[in-house]
Amino acid sequence: MKKKSTALRLRGVTKSFAGLTALDSLDLDVKPGELVALLGPSGCGKTTALRIVAGLEKADSGKVLVRGEDITELPAHKRHMGMVFQQYSLFPNLTAEENAAFGLRMQGVGGAERKARALELLDLVGLSALAKRYPHEMSGGQQQRVALARALAVEPEVLLLDEPLSALDAKVRTSLREEIRRLQLELGTTTIFVTHDQEEAMAISDRVAVMSRGKIEQIDTPDVLYSNPASSFVASFVGNMNRIPAQFDGKHAHLLGGKAKVSNTDSAAPTSVVALVRPENIRLFKPAHNAKAVADATVLNRSFLGPVSQVTARTADGHVVSALLPTADTGDLHAGDAVAVELLAKQIMIEGSNA
Amino acid sequence: MAKPLSNTVDKGAANRGALVSDFTRQLVPILPLLVLIVVFLIWPIVNVAIMAFEDNYGNFTFDNFVVASQGVYAQAFGNSISLGIYSALLASIPGAVFAYIIESRGSEFLKRIINSATSVLANSGGVPLAFMFIAAFGAEGSATVLLKAIGLDIYAGGFTLFSYWGLVLVYCFFQIPIMVLVFSPAVQALRREWTEAARSLGASKWQYWRHVGFPLLFPSFSASFLLLFASAFSAYATARAMTVGTIALVPLMIGTLIDGNVIVDQFNLGKALAIGMVLVTALAMVPYLLIQRRVARWQK
Amino acid sequence: MKRLGFKLPSAGLFIAVLLAGVFVLLPLGSASEYSFRTPALGPGTYGWDNYAWFVSQPDFGTFITLSLLLAAVAAGITLLVLVPTVVWLNLRGQKLRPLMEFLTLLPLVIPVVALAIGAQTSLPVELQSNQYSLSFFYFVLALPYTYRTLDIGIRAIPLKTLSEAARSLGASQIKVIALVLAPVVRGAVIASVFLTIALSLGEFTLTSLLHWQTFTTWVTVISQSNILGAIALSVFTIVAAFALLLVVGLVSIRTKRRQVTEE
Repeated sequence: MKKKSTALRLRGVTKSFAGLTALDSLDLDVKPGELVALLGPSGCGKTTALRIVAGLEKADSGKVLVRGEDITELPAHKRHMGMVFQQYSLFPNLTAEENAAFGLRMQGVGGAERKARALELLDLVGLSALAKRYPHEMSGGQQQRVALARALAVEPEVLLLDEPLSALDAKVRTSLREEIRRLQLELGTTTIFVTHDQEEAMAISDRVAVMSRGKIEQIDTPDVLYSNPASSFVASFVGNMNRIPAQFDGKHAHLLGGKAKVSNTDSAAPTSVVALVRPENIRLFKPAHNAKAVADATVLNRSFLGPVSQVTARTADGHVVSALLPTADTGDLHAGDAVAVELLAKQIMIEGSNA
Repeated sequence: MAKPLSNTVDKGAANRGALVSDFTRQLVPILPLLVLIVVFLIWPIVNVAIMAFEDNYGNFTFDNFVVASQGVYAQAFGNSISLGIYSALLASIPGAVFAYIIESRGSEFLKRIINSATSVLANSGGVPLAFMFIAAFGAEGSATVLLKAIGLDIYAGGFTLFSYWGLVLVYCFFQIPIMVLVFSPAVQALRREWTEAARSLGASKWQYWRHVGFPLLFPSFSASFLLLFASAFSAYATARAMTVGTIALVPLMIGTLIDGNVIVDQFNLGKALAIGMVLVTALAMVPYLLIQRRVARWQK
Repeated sequence: MKRLGFKLPSAGLFIAVLLAGVFVLLPLGSASEYSFRTPALGPGTYGWDNYAWFVSQPDFGTFITLSLLLAAVAAGITLLVLVPTVVWLNLRGQKLRPLMEFLTLLPLVIPVVALAIGAQTSLPVELQSNQYSLSFFYFVLALPYTYRTLDIGIRAIPLKTLSEAARSLGASQIKVIALVLAPVVRGAVIASVFLTIALSLGEFTLTSLLHWQTFTTWVTVISQSNILGAIALSVFTIVAAFALLLVVGLVSIRTKRRQVTEE
């Protein structure tokens, strides 16, 4: 990759707090105009990575480069980043407009120009009517929009979003995340978005980096991440997964009366394992349909989700499986019905022995 | 004993709701506290206010106030007010800086110790405090001797502990802890996000303080300053122990009038002086209230 | 991903603590040095004589007990009257909060000497001649601090949600207070009791102007007969009050830690 094609590059960034490793030699490349999500459970190092990019935390070793320039030693206020925090980051003594203009004021931009630019950005986030309001006079969602306008007003090298939606309620969360994506595309701002919500990350990112224990497990587009996870950790963190006990024969896993090739093992020793199967890779149907390799089960519940429905069933050996089926095929499945379970996947992932 | 969540209030509410206003219903559980405040604070002071306008025979008069605002009494008010201002000036800034450093950098354990220490020191005063300072900074005090040994003679400039400035120095010993005690919550309320947001938006440390930190702390600072003024202005125990009538101060005069050590023509002069003190403190609140009004819009 | 562990103290913190130490210890240390002098045994000799002197005073124990008792009663009033009131104000008495905020600020505006005159001239003799009336005055004088401490501490807790949750599970009102609300407001309660005790033990003005004798006024009287003894007594009062509050403070930090680890 040529230097010019990376807006942000992290090389071997390592950080530990009081002996606990938060980041373990992290590498990351972000292209100009790209939105990359850092996704992972709490404690995986995603926020630390973001704070190191912002200059709010100092890495123990490693480098941070912006458009090929080493900014590792640059203090936070000279880095030209825009940051949006989880919540409460607006200055309470300044109006929405003054908050949005803050970065420009620090750059010494004149009053009139500053005001015009602040209003322009408030307009972009749909809040020009609230320009004179103080933070406590606005809702949580409105405050986050102002925070976004404030961060974008300085035309940052990289926009850094630290779980900006996690303190909002579900409805606002969905609409604001779409708005963030719209603005980001419109302005072409390179963006890093830290979140623990996989749905959020998958919905708006160009690429998602799944992190665990201070390392990136996999970084790919949402589709690849979902359909072709590199590890069982990624597989179970992204999307829903059935976890079903299975027998591994060295090559295939045997479960639900069928078998599938195991993609993530080097060992050939037969053992008990847990198989990871996506709900859409399981089919439930009334038995005696045809004579495939199937297992018996009893329907527990069916929930209508629109074009598809989710059906849960308990197998004869006592495991609950969940299947995602076209709603049209579920009309005759009721709680208590005996059904057959079929494993559709040809290739699956497993997790270590469960003996 | 007060039982604010008593069942009767709640059950009766549905029936009586139409008759008893919301306000009155809310009032019942706080009655015990109201009674205590009225009996032990408001009733006595209202009586003082009324008697301040009475002559020796109970007739209405302004004479008490006329005398209280002249001569030695006017001088005493001047001394007490300037003592309040200087003492607040000297204590507020070091106290605020100390509170900030401890709250922003100190460990939980250190904060506890500081909290205990400031609670004790803020309530210290009177004879124990006077004796401590005499032992330390009196003409023969250990600290005086020690400082002299390293070439610092605090008595060279004609200083004495029993002077006006000596009193200001002694007051610092409880005023700074009071400042730390009342200002710390304001410092705690500063969020880390504000510093970090300002930094990431290109603000230097000084710019953060100028545009965000100081404006946010200013209302609390002015409230604390007012409190320090009131505390020094009305301090009695320490003043009595330190100045043996050498400096005219209003609280001391009121004290001697109560004790009956001094006979004056008007029995109720002390009450007029007391009401004068209440008025001064109330007037001192005016600038504070103006500041509050200015920041009310952005404060919750 | 919070910061873990401890940071090394920065230079600023170090200097601040050092200066505070000098500020407190210069007078206190000097007074201590004086308090251990034993001129009867010759210059430059030290011992516990001055401490032994005030401890052997017949009234020493009497007045310490009295002051502790009055402080305990004042603390009791804080617990029984103020705490439930502030909880109530935060639960359902929102409209009365401005009134209470004003009333509890009054003791700062009204100088204690002014209150003393009023108490002397207007309170019934029966009330004035009961020593426990002092506890009520101490309670009122501490209100500006205790009310605010409690209010800030309690406001931070979603009292309404907690009490509704408990009541929906079938707890009675009394049980709600005792079992649910009391434990969560403990931190603020301890702090306010703390402030009441500190103020009660140190109060001098009102006590002496109303002609009562407590430990603080007794110190004033006894100190006239023996300067070194008085200095020893001064050191003792400050150190003992600090030790007392430190114990309360450390006990409360320990209960707080336990709550955190339980979560």
